[in-house]
Amino acid sequence: MKVGGSYTLPVPRERAYQGLQDPEILAKCMPGTEQLARIGPDEYEMKMKVVIAVVQGLFTAKIRIADQKPPDEFRLLVEGSGKVGFLKGDGLLTFVPAGGSTEVRYEGDVQVGGMIAGVGQRLLDTTAKIVIRKFFERMSEELTQAGQAASLP
Amino acid sequence: MIPQNFEYSSPSNLNEALALLANGDAKVLAGGMSLIPLMKLRLAAPERLVDLGRVADLKGIREDGGNLHIGSMATHYDIESSALVHGRCPLLAEAASNIGDVQVRNMGTIGGSIAHADPAADYPASLLALEAKVRITSAKGERTLPIDQFLVDALTSALEPGEIVREVIVPVESAATGISYQKMVQPASGFAIVGAAVRVRKSGGKVTFARVGITGLAAKAFRSTAVEKLLETTAGSAADIQKAAAVVSDNVDANSDLHASADYRRQMARVYTARALAQALSRTS
Repeated sequence: MKVGGSYTLPVPRERAYQGLQDPEILAKCMPGTEQLARIGPDEYEMKMKVVIAVVQGLFTAKIRIADQKPPDEFRLLVEGSGKVGFLKGDGLLTFVPAGGSTEVRYEGDVQVGGMIAGVGQRLLDTTAKIVIRKFFERMSEELTQAGQAASLP
Repeated sequence: MIPQNFEYSSPSNLNEALALLANGDAKVLAGGMSLIPLMKLRLAAPERLVDLGRVADLKGIREDGGNLHIGSMATHYDIESSALVHGRCPLLAEAASNIGDVQVRNMGTIGGSIAHADPAADYPASLLALEAKVRITSAKGERTLPIDQFLVDALTSALEPGEIVREVIVPVESAATGISYQKMVQPASGFAIVGAAVRVRKSGGKVTFARVGITGLAAKAFRSTAVEKLLETTAGSAADIQKAAAVVSDNVDANSDLHASADYRRQMARVYTARALAQALSRTS
């Protein structure tokens, strides 16, 4: 499944780039993240509880950040599995300045397998879009709040 | 497969049901046409189920003050076979008769369907075209929401924990209105790949009123005011219909799955909207 789109974060490019790599911020923004631990340079392991309607699934996922070209782009590799299925994703994030804000473009390929894919095929695309949108909405809040806090005396 | 163990209760009246749901950790069973398959696959494993099937207060269909009040536990079959719905709100009867298959229509309920908020469900298109309202109740009180606020996102309704849909309120249709629900059906699931629900009125050779609801195309069903505006004040000719239906997919982030790509869905939405407009206009009097 291809995923792609863009979201504008109301912060400068360096801040957006840094925010999307900050494990603490990522843990707060990824819906359902219960635990996020660093397991190597630019490599993290996270436990997530994904809740979609009545379906609940616990996933353990490994995230790796590669091909870093700050502040323009980096590649995000995700591999996760749980009782209800697995997912594997590879995406490129590009940061484009837009005034004082930053347009984050994402383009990638996600493979979902196992029971959740067999049963939920019809809803995978829609669900992926919602999770991505929620992630960026929270990221936007998180970055603007942190920015405000930092500018306080 | 066999579901995980769960506690089951089957209250016989509304107060008992609301009390059982009040602490918020129980899941409502309202027909079970989506929930039970997920439980059997163990994708869903609620610990407690409250079956609303015996709550008589939630079942009736009645007319009151220019509106039809449809109890949330009315089945799709109850709605498609009700003389009252046929006579007073034919669009809803037509939508109900298009849902799934006979087994699903005999068990599935309107409240269960809209609470589940499947992006391809049939009712939302019609309920949006009808500007329906949803009456919600809980142990704490009641509230009523317009359908477009009730449907929040794919698989997400505005229901809070402990709340249930009490009834769906639709206006009684004027006899002059032409209606149609046209759906491209996915044969295995019975869900809509796209579905278009239309209400139109004509007067003096001009379209004076148009309401268009679209399901299946986007993450949630929506009312296409762009199509409505283009059709209103025209004569409703074949060319007018094509011109209006052509904009239905504009600026829509279309769903994509194994059965239909986003582009194909956008095109099918235009085709089925045009068909629904044409049939509805042919039914105006």
